[in-house]
Amino acid sequence: MEQITTSLAPPRSTHKVGVAGSSSDASGSVTKRLSNELMQLMMSSSPGISAFPKSDANLFEWVGTIEGPSGTIYAGLTYKISITFPPNYPYAAPTLKFDSPCYHPNVDLNSGAICLDILQDKWSAVYSVQTILISLQSLLGEPNNASPLNPDAAALWDSPSEYKTSLMKHYTPPGDNFA
Amino acid sequence: MASPGVQALVEAKWQSAFKTLNREEPGISGLLKTSQARQLASDFLRPRALSEPRRKYRADVMANAFRLLYQTKQLHGVLENFLEEMRQQRHLITEDVEAYMHEYEVRPYAFVLVTEVHETADSQIIAQLVHRLVEWFNAWRPTTETDGHPGPLESLGHVAIDSYTDAFQTHIYSVLPPSFSSGFKDLIASTLPVSDPAPPPDRALWDAFHALGLIERYESLISSVCYELVEKHVVETCAGQWSERMLQDLRDWMQNKVLPWMCLPYAPGARTMEEAGASLHGVGPRFDFHVCKTLCDLRTSEIFDIIVDYPDSIDALYDLKECLYRVDQRSNLVQSLRKANKKRLLHPGADTKDILAQYVSTIRSLRIVDPPGVLLYKVADPIRRYLRDRADTIRCIVSSLVGDNENGESLIDDEPPLPYLTKDAEDYSDPHWEPEPIDAGPDFRANKPGDVISTLVSIYDTKDVFVKELQVLLAQRLLAVTDGNYEKERRNIEILKVRFGEQALQVCEVMLRDMTDSRRIDQHVQSQKPSILHPVIISRHFWPSLQSGSFVMPQKLRSIQEEYAREFTAFKPDKRLVWLSHMGSVKLELELQDRTIEAEVTPVAAAIIELFSEKDVWTAGELMAQMQRLDKEHLRKGLNVWVDLGVLKEEGADKYRLLEVAEESSKKEGTVSAPKPKELPAVQTTQQQQAEQMRVFWNYIEGMLTNLGSLPLDRIQNMLKFARGYDRSIEQLGMFMEAARREGLVVVRDGMWRLNK
Repeated sequence: MEQITTSLAPPRSTHKVGVAGSSSDASGSVTKRLSNELMQLMMSSSPGISAFPKSDANLFEWVGTIEGPSGTIYAGLTYKISITFPPNYPYAAPTLKFDSPCYHPNVDLNSGAICLDILQDKWSAVYSVQTILISLQSLLGEPNNASPLNPDAAALWDSPSEYKTSLMKHYTPPGDNFA
Repeated sequence: MASPGVQALVEAKWQSAFKTLNREEPGISGLLKTSQARQLASDFLRPRALSEPRRKYRADVMANAFRLLYQTKQLHGVLENFLEEMRQQRHLITEDVEAYMHEYEVRPYAFVLVTEVHETADSQIIAQLVHRLVEWFNAWRPTTETDGHPGPLESLGHVAIDSYTDAFQTHIYSVLPPSFSSGFKDLIASTLPVSDPAPPPDRALWDAFHALGLIERYESLISSVCYELVEKHVVETCAGQWSERMLQDLRDWMQNKVLPWMCLPYAPGARTMEEAGASLHGVGPRFDFHVCKTLCDLRTSEIFDIIVDYPDSIDALYDLKECLYRVDQRSNLVQSLRKANKKRLLHPGADTKDILAQYVSTIRSLRIVDPPGVLLYKVADPIRRYLRDRADTIRCIVSSLVGDNENGESLIDDEPPLPYLTKDAEDYSDPHWEPEPIDAGPDFRANKPGDVISTLVSIYDTKDVFVKELQVLLAQRLLAVTDGNYEKERRNIEILKVRFGEQALQVCEVMLRDMTDSRRIDQHVQSQKPSILHPVIISRHFWPSLQSGSFVMPQKLRSIQEEYAREFTAFKPDKRLVWLSHMGSVKLELELQDRTIEAEVTPVAAAIIELFSEKDVWTAGELMAQMQRLDKEHLRKGLNVWVDLGVLKEEGADKYRLLEVAEESSKKEGTVSAPKPKELPAVQTTQQQQAEQMRVFWNYIEGMLTNLGSLPLDRIQNMLKFARGYDRSIEQLGMFMEAARREGLVVVRDGMWRLNK
């Protein structure tokens, strides 16, 4: 399925651009898609995930909030992430990174970069902000220790109590003040 | 003088020719014989008038003569001679033709009044002419055939006959006047198998046509006769007949009646149906096409009425579909239907309800004719645009959604509801994706398998308007229910949920729950302290705002209310009852001096009659002063109820008297029960709609405060433009945020709002 959609997507996009003729139309459709996704996200009740554009001037920069899934070591923790959409979204994946430091095998502690397949080679236009956030949320509880960005965290994963200590050492709860 | 060489050449030629002609016979006797034979042959072949008696020739003599000519290679010369003589003689034919045609051309004037007669007579003249020409043709035909054995002339192959036929036909074509065409057409038409059973075909006539080559020459004329027959038959049998499939009948008719006739011109000499079929191979499809085209044209012209008759006309639509498959007249159909719609449907004289009904029928009909929906898209556009401009469209659609229209039929049950889709973009993961049909316009949206309701709902860009209208309607219906049976409403809501989504109908859900909760609360209150009052307790925030203007109840009724309210507060300490005194109904029994009256009336009427228990005569002004805040209209209505029941009597201007003793005219034995107040509770919409919208916007506010921390009011206002349809002023937003703060959802400090965690 994914392969079908990804192989279809590029020619379709060029076709659409060819028909539309101007890039302003194309960016208009991206804006429309993004505001649809925003509405979808606002209207659905997915517990523990949320996102909103940073400012009313730019729909391509969002801020997201993820709460750690209950029953996992991250339960009760809240993380801020930033989402940047490329101009040719949804044909290319958005860029996500953690704003608050996140101690996690698949997250780079300093830069906040995330290693998640659907954000890289497995991206498909059928995904949305909501599905990304849900994937990210489940990644917190189920890390992929095979390809760690943070080898220390990956090594510690199997000893929960030590892991929890390191986790809490790096955790800073998001404050209310927003720049 | 010529040189000796040339002389020798000429002499050799001469000798050779002489030898051929003389055939080695002594002297010049061979030459003489040849010459004789030639004379004989020329005389035999010579074209002559039909009236001229033909000499008898002895067959063997003729045969010898021709053989001789053949041997001496003179047949060609004889033939050329014959054709030349024919040219000289052809004035005979010309005269004949002119005589017949003159008769034909003159006749119509003589018989102009007797149409039937002269038509047959006319074509008979043409038939006679044709037979006459065949006589000429046969008489002049150069043939030496004897008893079916080919003679020497035939040994030339087709050359002799062909050149003769060419020459003959060229001539008659040149002499036949233009009026012959119309005469010929009439003649052909007279042979058509219109009557039942068809008369046996006049084979001699058709053979004559073939002999003279008229079939080839007037081919288009013959087919036009046949086309006209088809058109006439189709219009006669199919016009207005929409309740059965006609196409197959028409094809049977073609097969059984027209085809045998068509064999005459198109498949002469075919003995079996197979042979005929082979000959008709090229012609048959052409006529089948014409049948389809004619039916298609007919149905296209009737399409509006066919749609009106849907679903009785369903068979006509299947016919049309099959025809359109064969004949490409889709654009005609669209044009015709659009024109008819514009003329007959989309004008101020048509009811919105009717337009909607016709639109729904159009949707269903065209879905039969053209499943991908291109036709529908093209036709529907003007209807949708027109409907969008009508003020009461939403109300009509919503009431048909919940089965509120007059014949009680609901659109809901028709099809399995499909989830309401808000996707604008194409679905990239659809494995059944198909390209758009070839005649789809650039703005044709790929066919969503939308059912009728989603199509109706999609007239508007947003479904919110429907949900709002639905709430208003639901409020009216719920309040009108008196027996506590809300199953129907619940079912409707469940079905509509699938369509509009859980979220959108949440408010309706609350309204329904209010109704059942009211009953439970009432049961509780009654168990504590029995009361004659059974209120419906509604959550003000979720209901459309109800008509305000509560008046002051007379003391007796007010005390009942207050008592009930006390019990309620005891049960639910955090809630307070606000009475909407003017709504609901009161069942009461009036004990008058001579009679008892039972009636179920509005609370206003009950309050009025209660006041009459104090004194018998009131003026309208006094009553209004007593009840306060009651407008004149309601007072008048309340009074009229009692006047109608013969309890009150209007005496002079705005003065009413209680009739303790019934007057003659209205006196009845026993009890009189008043008709139940039929009026539906008046529900106001605007304010309520705003409240609902605010709920949507609250999701956005929650979203932004979750992610962006605390925000000043003006940032919130600016960010809310992401929410579609947001049009509140910052003051309204401030009031809303303040309300949210009171409910403990948000906190504010130094003008910065944040969620209360």
